[in-house]
Amino acid sequence: MIWLTWRQFRAQAITAAAALAVFAIVLAATASNVSGRYDSSGLLTCHGDACSGLASTFLSNLASGGGSFLVPGSPYAILYFASVLLILIAPAVTGVFWGAPLIARELEAGTFRLTWNQSVTRTRWLTVKLALTGAAAMAVTEAFSLLQAWWAAPIGQAVGLGGSSSIFSEGRFGWFVFPTHGITPLGYAAFGFALGVTVGLVSRRLIPAMAITLAIFALVQFVTPLWIRPHLFPTSRTVTTFAAAGANVRLQSNPKLAITVSAVPGQPGAWIMSSDGINAAGQRVSAIPAACELAVSQSMGSHRGTASGPGSAAVNNCVASHGIRVAESYQPASHYWPLQWSETGMFLALALALAGYCYWRVNRRS
Amino acid sequence: MIEFHLDGRSGVAPYLQLIHQVRHALRLGLLHQGDQLPKVKDVVAALAINPNTVLKAYRELEYAGLVAARPGVGTFVTGTLDGGSLAAHGPLRRELQRWLAKARRAGLDDESIEALFASTFRSASEEDIA
Amino acid sequence: MSAVIETEGLGKRYRTRWALAGCTLSIPAGHVVGLVGPNGAGKTTLIDLATGMLKPSAGTIEVLGGRPAVGPAQLARVGYLAQDAPVYAGLPVADHLRLGAHLNPGWDADLARRRVARLGLDPKQKAGTLSGGQRAQLALSLAVAKRPELLILDEPVASLDPLARREFLQDLMESVAEQQVSVVLSSHLISDLERACDYVIVLVDSRVRLAGPTDELLATHHLLSGPRRDPASLPDGLQVIAASHTDVQTTLLVRTSRPVLDPAWTVSAVGLEDLVLAYMRQAGPAPAAPRDGHRHLEVRK
Repeated sequence: MIWLTWRQFRAQAITAAAALAVFAIVLAATASNVSGRYDSSGLLTCHGDACSGLASTFLSNLASGGGSFLVPGSPYAILYFASVLLILIAPAVTGVFWGAPLIARELEAGTFRLTWNQSVTRTRWLTVKLALTGAAAMAVTEAFSLLQAWWAAPIGQAVGLGGSSSIFSEGRFGWFVFPTHGITPLGYAAFGFALGVTVGLVSRRLIPAMAITLAIFALVQFVTPLWIRPHLFPTSRTVTTFAAAGANVRLQSNPKLAITVSAVPGQPGAWIMSSDGINAAGQRVSAIPAACELAVSQSMGSHRGTASGPGSAAVNNCVASHGIRVAESYQPASHYWPLQWSETGMFLALALALAGYCYWRVNRRS
Repeated sequence: MIEFHLDGRSGVAPYLQLIHQVRHALRLGLLHQGDQLPKVKDVVAALAINPNTVLKAYRELEYAGLVAARPGVGTFVTGTLDGGSLAAHGPLRRELQRWLAKARRAGLDDESIEALFASTFRSASEEDIA
Repeated sequence: MSAVIETEGLGKRYRTRWALAGCTLSIPAGHVVGLVGPNGAGKTTLIDLATGMLKPSAGTIEVLGGRPAVGPAQLARVGYLAQDAPVYAGLPVADHLRLGAHLNPGWDADLARRRVARLGLDPKQKAGTLSGGQRAQLALSLAVAKRPELLILDEPVASLDPLARREFLQDLMESVAEQQVSVVLSSHLISDLERACDYVIVLVDSRVRLAGPTDELLATHHLLSGPRRDPASLPDGLQVIAASHTDVQTTLLVRTSRPVLDPAWTVSAVGLEDLVLAYMRQAGPAPAAPRDGHRHLEVRK
């Protein structure tokens, strides 16, 4: 059964190995440049507040340097973006191309009548296929993730030190970074694969199964950071001043008060989930105080046409001077690994549940 | 080694056809004492018939004393069907010639004679079985 | 002789329709059994129940004394060839043999190799490019080389041209002679099976109409023709399968275990194909076979 699984999986395995090899070569070729720049940026020896400035400089150099006619823009920015995207869609790809055909192709071609009547039970057939192919999906996705993490380590460190520039702005908890680093890729890969197998089994036709798997997985990937991840652990709240939070009033065409923050005082590396302006009584302030409108229009003038840019210092001071403080809800940095484990565990459990359904359904003789 | 063939449309049971072909081969001298009959496996592979059919035919031939089965080796011819019994055919042949002459004098043409012979032969065979 | 397939009141229902009903059979070992019937009669349903691909809605079925497909040991004893001989189009012939070797503890690699060589199949050729006949032969090789006690074939020659059909049956019969395996094969044409089968089951409209060894069936069915007769005046012990009347003549197909001695009838033998067709023309619930002591008469038009 192991031989058969391998033989039927051979072509896909070779494709994945080739992709991984190309990925590794491309990253390896540029890794020394990235780390070299990091070493010469002074970030190794900086202290305290000086670091965030140095970090931002390093990152903006990375994001803007270079550019030839073949590669418009910085190759590092493109590599970073592409590699993260690759890890993000890898579970969907394995789900669609490895998972969906696993059972659907046998049902469509009728070959299940051949294979399920050899001397192996359907349970054994499914177990070996799920285990080996699923493990391969998880391993490949995680391999992509680890390679990328190794290559982008300097970037991650710079962001962690407070730096930020264009696409290098997400910390560990970021929308794109969280599901593509750590152990979450394992959970997503397992889930994507199990989803593909299940949809293939239920729909019995390969092409629709592939499309439906892709759609459901994309939906899950969209919904998870929006509604699930924030609620995996209870959030912490704190109220602080504009200055301490590194807060900026967002300049936008409507008079609503929207505040962006860059830090939680005393909680370096925290995942900031929301920030609101509150008044002295602790109530949420929904609009910019009328007295500050002048400062706003002056600032908007210099950011001509920018409907939502950061505020100028004048606007921030004006709002702060009206007794408005910043309320932040966040997850502390120490919650990173618990969150990773929870999210991974959740998807692994889902994958197991789907696998269990597949066992039941495959063994059911209607 | 002789080769069997089967006429699917003759209405004669396959095992009987095989028996007839063996007896015919014996009479014609194509098979001699000690010759081996085709293996069941080979007959069946050539004709796509049930092995039990061949086994039944060979068994009947064995009861008739014409062949003997040697387990693990094959089925071999042990009897003969030629020469000697032809002598007994003389009187039968002359009786038949007389009957044919009578039938012609009664006005029967060739077809009627054949039909009369066939139906009488068939009903006589069935009475034997019944 | 023990039974290879034993069913008792077996039935299978899909929503409102019974694809098979009231099926009670005891198929003895050591035969090549032909399962005949028109399309939709329930042949594939019966075969799927025997191979464990379906679960009965009513009644029971036992294959080789055990429940179908209930474990690796049971699966190893039964070889199955599905309709249209599904194979892996992208795998070469040799890999199909490896599949058999890896998935069957009782695999006879020598036999498989010999068969493929004799059939002239190129081991490196992808199974998807084989002709219909070659695919059927490959699938049969896979079923035979695992050395089962029972081979079940679902319409194995239905989509083959006459030459491929003949070659397949030749090959199958040779395997039967070599390995003493019992065979159940289905077809909607009795002419395919006449030579090869020595046991016949006729399935029409989800019910078994006729079942028994070919020899016995042919010996107990007769075609009677004679002057026009009122069916009620027929002697006991004769079961009429089919009857046709003209103004002067009556022709009956009867089943009886006693000889027909009434001189008014001209008795002749029935060919297997005509016999099966006569049963296939019947509609309604299947009649019970007459036994000595059960004298009854049923007339069918």
